[in-house]
Amino acid sequence: MSKRRLVTVVSVMSLVALLSSCGVIRGDDEEGQKGTVTTGVTNDPCPIPVDKNKGCIYLGTISDLTSGPFAALAVPITQAQKAFWNRVNRAGGIGGKYEVDVQAYVRDNKYNPETHNQVYQEIKNNVLGLTQTLGSPTTAAIIADLKANNVVAAPASWTSAWEFEDVIVETGSNYCVESMNAVDYAVETYQPKTVMAVHYAGDYGADAAAGAKIAAEKNGLKFTAVETPSGATEQGRAITEITKNKPDLVILTTGPADAAAVIGQSAAAGFKGRFIGTGPTWNPALLQSPAAEAILALYEQSSPGKPWGADTPGHKAMREALGDVTPSDGYTSGWAWAYPLKAALEKMVAGGDISRKGLLAAVKSLTTVDYEGMLPPEAGNFSGDPNAATFRQTLINKPDKAAPTGVTIVRDFFTGSTAQSYTMDGPCFDKL
Amino acid sequence: MKGVLESLIRGLGNGSVYALLALGFVIIYKATRVISFAQPAFMIAGAVAVSYLAGTVGFYPAVLLATLLVAGLALGIERVAIRPMVGRPVFVVAIITLGVDVVVRVVVNGFIGLDVRQVGDPWGLRPVEFAGLAVQQRWVAMFLTTAVLVALLFAFFRYTRYGLAMRAAAFDQETALAQGVSVGTVFALSWGLAGGLAAIAGTFVGTGQGVDQLTWIIALKALPAIIVGGLDSLGGAVIGGLVVGVVESLVQSYQGDLAPWLGQNFAIVTPYAVMLLVLLVRPYGLFGTPEVERV
Repeated sequence: MSKRRLVTVVSVMSLVALLSSCGVIRGDDEEGQKGTVTTGVTNDPCPIPVDKNKGCIYLGTISDLTSGPFAALAVPITQAQKAFWNRVNRAGGIGGKYEVDVQAYVRDNKYNPETHNQVYQEIKNNVLGLTQTLGSPTTAAIIADLKANNVVAAPASWTSAWEFEDVIVETGSNYCVESMNAVDYAVETYQPKTVMAVHYAGDYGADAAAGAKIAAEKNGLKFTAVETPSGATEQGRAITEITKNKPDLVILTTGPADAAAVIGQSAAAGFKGRFIGTGPTWNPALLQSPAAEAILALYEQSSPGKPWGADTPGHKAMREALGDVTPSDGYTSGWAWAYPLKAALEKMVAGGDISRKGLLAAVKSLTTVDYEGMLPPEAGNFSGDPNAATFRQTLINKPDKAAPTGVTIVRDFFTGSTAQSYTMDGPCFDKL
Repeated sequence: MKGVLESLIRGLGNGSVYALLALGFVIIYKATRVISFAQPAFMIAGAVAVSYLAGTVGFYPAVLLATLLVAGLALGIERVAIRPMVGRPVFVVAIITLGVDVVVRVVVNGFIGLDVRQVGDPWGLRPVEFAGLAVQQRWVAMFLTTAVLVALLFAFFRYTRYGLAMRAAAFDQETALAQGVSVGTVFALSWGLAGGLAAIAGTFVGTGQGVDQLTWIIALKALPAIIVGGLDSLGGAVIGGLVVGVVESLVQSYQGDLAPWLGQNFAIVTPYAVMLLVLLVRPYGLFGTPEVERV
């Protein structure tokens, strides 16, 4: 190729890339919103309306849709929320006046905070709020902007920092409380003397490790924390620490593949203690991995909500709405996360102040949310001080090959004594 | 002592994978003077091919087929994307290999999907008792396979016509060309060999833990391995890979006790720390050829 042709090709390619990144060559965005009521709300119907006489509330989605570590959960979360809002629209929409669109502004964050912020800036002037902002570190990258512009967002993460942010409508107990309850459960069931937290850095792993530490201290157990990087081949140190120190209980806060590497290889080296992993450590595919035997023998999962197959009206509605899909608790979490936003939108429309401020005011006035049985109504308390509003009930599941998502409940919603008496006065991960 | 030995064997196992990848880098470098950044893509392509084939034809035939498949893919890529660039600055070609890596990985990611794929290996995580040591079978398999492959490779270079042609072309392309060596065939062969070796390495990475869309990152550890061994030394690549694997494993096991002030996860950067240390003492790597320039 001659130099001139090469220069031409490169120039054309860079122009295409530029136009595409500016959103010129992309078919999924709305071309401006006519009949605007406020940012992200129009009197015109949604792009795919159920009833053309209703207006449209646009909600954005920023998720890990392709190549990040949580893509296996993020795609079902996003699909479930699409189905959730479709069901809301079919049932008459919000206050009989508006339908909700969650398909026009879906963006991929690749689990990268910079990308997350970049795509948020792309869509923020077109949406009233976010029905999903996936990840703790990624959401931390936009939290200042969310607060400055009163943008209400439903997180797809459970860090304790969200208890202290008005604009974040979280659902279910945070990692910190979840691990406190996990340790309390283990104390009752297995009487451990030593606890080790094997965790990622940051406000996912460190949050859970901090909860485990608080509970271990309260129960008079010896506690150690081992921070581990992501990547199944990078778990050598965590495995060595486990097999060398032989803790009675390991609280795991990693991704599923890394959890399998840690559990499987520790067991292969003769470790016989118990593992309890936080919700995101589980993926039913682990039961097909070489670590399956060890997982069935040694592992339990703490969880902020009931699994896919649970018998509640919410779970049933979700299964019906999603139809014939491979069960995943990504769907379950995604569906449950949408309830508080629905409640707040209904309250906002009923109150008449249809704006970002109106939505935030509606969120702050919520004391309960109807989760259709998926979670207790008090999980949806967003008023009052964080300590009083923090929801403290979690479950314990065990692996079960016969269950749709590979786990069944061994302990239904409970609050351990540590979480009960703990004063939530700041994000837990600062206390590790 | 038992812990040290177990850690050492784990390091030799993982190091074998780095060594196979490093060999690919060095073979291509020797033939073409280009560092090919497409090795991670070939590695993951091999592992994914095995994960699809193992279910129908069994694990060992699947490894063989996947190796041939990826070697063929590498040959094709060399013919289409690299050969037309002969004579261009090596930097340009290296950047093209980066592009090849991204394109191949995007396609392979489509086959991986969102979950972890298992390669269906017979070892799993089962340990084998060996002189009182609990050693995972897959590490032994990795080490032995690499030893056999390295022996075959060295025999190939030493005793076959093509091996001789490759050595001649590596030594001096123009003279080799004048002596009737087809440099084009040497280029193609080097890419094919590197692709095949990467495919086997990828399969071993997938044993016991499966492969997902992020597994390719492991291949980058072969880069410090080739710098440690010397960019143009095949033996150096093997030693470099094993050194990186063993040091990494020992640091994972003992740095927490012996040097906690280095932080919790110093093992991640040890390959690069070793590389810097070696470069300080021997700028051309342990077995690399010092470059003599007349001014």
